[in-house]
Amino acid sequence: MSALLEVSALSKRFSGLVAVNEVSFSIAPGEITGILGPNGAGKTTLFNLLTGFLPIDGGEVRFDGHNLAGLAPHRIVNRGLARTFQLCRPFSGMSAFENVMVGCLAPRVRHREAPETRAREILAAVGLAHRAETKVDVLPYGDLRRLEIARALATRPRLLLLDEPFAGLGSSEIEPLSALIRALHRSEGLTILLIEHRLREFMQLVSRVIAMDFGRIIAVATPEDIVRHPLVIEAYIGRAEDDTTGDVLGTA
Amino acid sequence: MGSRPWIFVSLILAALAALPVIVKSEYLLGILSVCFIYGIWAASWDFMSGLTGRENFGHALFIGAGAYTSAFLNARFALNPWWGLPAGAAMAVLLALVIGFPTLRLRGPYFALAMLAAATIMQRLTLIFWQYSGGEEGIPGLDPLLNSKIGIYYLCLAALVLTTAALLLLARSHGGLLLRGIRGDEAACQAAGIDVTFYKIAALVVSAACAGMGGVLYAHYQEAVTPDVFSVALSISLIIMVYVGGIGTIYGPAVGAILLALLPELLRGLGQYRLWAYSVVLIFILFFAPGGLVAPLWRRAVGLAR
Amino acid sequence: MLNILVFGAVTSAVYAMLAVGFTLIFGVARVLNLAHGAFYGLGAYSCYLLTGRLGWPLLPAALVAVLFVAAFGVAMERFLVRPLRHSALAVLMITIAVALLFEQAMFLLFGSEARNVPAFINATWSYGELDVSGQRLLTLGAGIAIVALLWLFINRTRLGSAILALSQDREGALYMGIPADRIYAVVMAISAAIAAAAGVLTAPFLTVQPTMDLLPMIKAFSIVIVGGLGSIPGSILAALLLGYSETIVAYAISPAWTEIVSLVAVLLTLILRPAGLLGKRAAF
Repeated sequence: MSALLEVSALSKRFSGLVAVNEVSFSIAPGEITGILGPNGAGKTTLFNLLTGFLPIDGGEVRFDGHNLAGLAPHRIVNRGLARTFQLCRPFSGMSAFENVMVGCLAPRVRHREAPETRAREILAAVGLAHRAETKVDVLPYGDLRRLEIARALATRPRLLLLDEPFAGLGSSEIEPLSALIRALHRSEGLTILLIEHRLREFMQLVSRVIAMDFGRIIAVATPEDIVRHPLVIEAYIGRAEDDTTGDVLGTA
Repeated sequence: MGSRPWIFVSLILAALAALPVIVKSEYLLGILSVCFIYGIWAASWDFMSGLTGRENFGHALFIGAGAYTSAFLNARFALNPWWGLPAGAAMAVLLALVIGFPTLRLRGPYFALAMLAAATIMQRLTLIFWQYSGGEEGIPGLDPLLNSKIGIYYLCLAALVLTTAALLLLARSHGGLLLRGIRGDEAACQAAGIDVTFYKIAALVVSAACAGMGGVLYAHYQEAVTPDVFSVALSISLIIMVYVGGIGTIYGPAVGAILLALLPELLRGLGQYRLWAYSVVLIFILFFAPGGLVAPLWRRAVGLAR
Repeated sequence: MLNILVFGAVTSAVYAMLAVGFTLIFGVARVLNLAHGAFYGLGAYSCYLLTGRLGWPLLPAALVAVLFVAAFGVAMERFLVRPLRHSALAVLMITIAVALLFEQAMFLLFGSEARNVPAFINATWSYGELDVSGQRLLTLGAGIAIVALLWLFINRTRLGSAILALSQDREGALYMGIPADRIYAVVMAISAAIAAAAGVLTAPFLTVQPTMDLLPMIKAFSIVIVGGLGSIPGSILAALLLGYSETIVAYAISPAWTEIVSLVAVLLTLILRPAGLLGKRAAF
């Protein structure tokens, strides 16, 4: 079974600072993989490189066998690689339904079925059917997160990149969102790659964890093993200001 | 949407259509014809900049391009002025592509500045190459599109109604939804698989074509064309009219333009203080009524209050 | 040859003064101040009012004129621009409104004919075939001095560092406790003062009339586009480039063609390298 996503020696420099340093990994179809790392490890930069929002300085990204070099973000999406953003970015002034409609009008899906029908289906799938006509400016953050995912789903991705989907959510909202992601993984046949810097949320969702620090991959293992990995522990305990170490590693 | 808006619209259109029969003043009809043309220009501006949020500070470029192209063809080659309509629109579209392609790809104020610069450049060019453009005096002696003032009145009214209707339809279509998404968040639109540059350029092309045709109507109404038609004052006046009407609504700017263009005529002697009056109106709107005056009033009137 | 060297320098100095203030306020506050030309005109007219109508001596009049325009700029930023900061279009429109009001006000107060402002230096220098007025030389010297002072201020003082920080990363600067609003006021004051100084210095040899804000405004933003929005060194470089190009064209071909130089420069810049000579990358 060939990999859906193959990343080889990917690098990105910002005038002197190496944000992503020779990163290589591959994702098999159907996996849910997590990328773990403290703030500043290069995780979001990695996402921006994979999705075409930042130009690559070195290395290669192959999606479904095709090289993604130099493609504009919207073209990458239309190949089946969608993403959400760390800070929700809804289209303000428009309703939830209209937000998802935009995704349904992507060339990849526009003519497959009526965009309006698909939009309503997706809203129902993420549990926002009752908010369809509400303007996004008044939606609570948890709903905006679901909307982000809905909009990405609208483009029928094969691989979905979720950037810190649990950030900013209250403890009661995390488990429902986690359950939703698992449900969508099954129902839509998605391959998922998600970033989080808190391990607890990972544990139940992902089957494999890629740990990053300072732009490099420091470990790849199952969630249970990753917490015991010496480099990972060092990456977290080495940060004096990160009070949540115990919380992160699921210990304390 | 219910029938109330349709009833209102029909009444207003009927009144405008009946006007020449009731009021026999050719002078008033002429003024209203020009007001209708301003409406076309304002609505076309709104279609691009109101929907996508990418401000266009040189809309006069398209107006002037249409006007001068048609004038040139009519005066130098004695071409029937009706051919000026597609020719003027085509020239405006060409300019839209030339400027839109490099600048709409970019973030920041480059598009706005490029349009402002381009309109000003065109204005200076008409003065520098006066042998072809007639310089400060422009090109006089153009043929009118129709031979009666009443005919021209109906022509301009029809053009305004058709243009506004077409733009409204486009704005309410899937394409219009994408344009509004672009206004909301371009990066998120890209992440939703939309080629934002294509849609921005498409919107600009539509906007330019309408403005250019309006320019042709204007040139043949005045039966002359002067460099003023490229002026910054015109571009800015249009934006003010759009603000008064309600940015992003298309019909608001059309009506707002008619009202503001009518204003200097109603208040006699305001002529040379026109810009001053517009500035005061603008400041008032910016601070107290950023949603405009026309669109909110209309929504109240037809009971669409949210 | 000497003519071109000297007159080119004078033109570049005036352009630099106009462009630097405009790019400064954009780089720091992200405001495209289309009333910048009005600052220039207001400086010239204030000087005219004080010397011509009220009979003040020249130097105090010039200083007061510059201070007045600086204060005017600060007031404009505080009361007209700041409340509208949430919408870039609204800010642009309000600065345009100010520019329009300036033109109308000057027209109402002083009429449409050109006015005379006395020169600081009435002598003329001659050297070989060169004949240049003292006023022009003064403008050149003052222009160099002002731009140099500004450069020193930004790079060597704490306030200057704060300004740089704010222009590079607004949120980061706020986190560091830099008072953004106060800095905007300072930057606007500097920007307006330099424009007004340019107006005062050039008024004796250029025209003073209500529409005088338009051409300098167009020149300023042409230079700023070519040099790179927000880059002071870019503006200086572009000012030199355009100032000298125009002077050479004026001597070699004809003065009527000088317009084309900056226009072509702007078009080429926007099509080939929109970020300008020294601007940051403009793309996504």
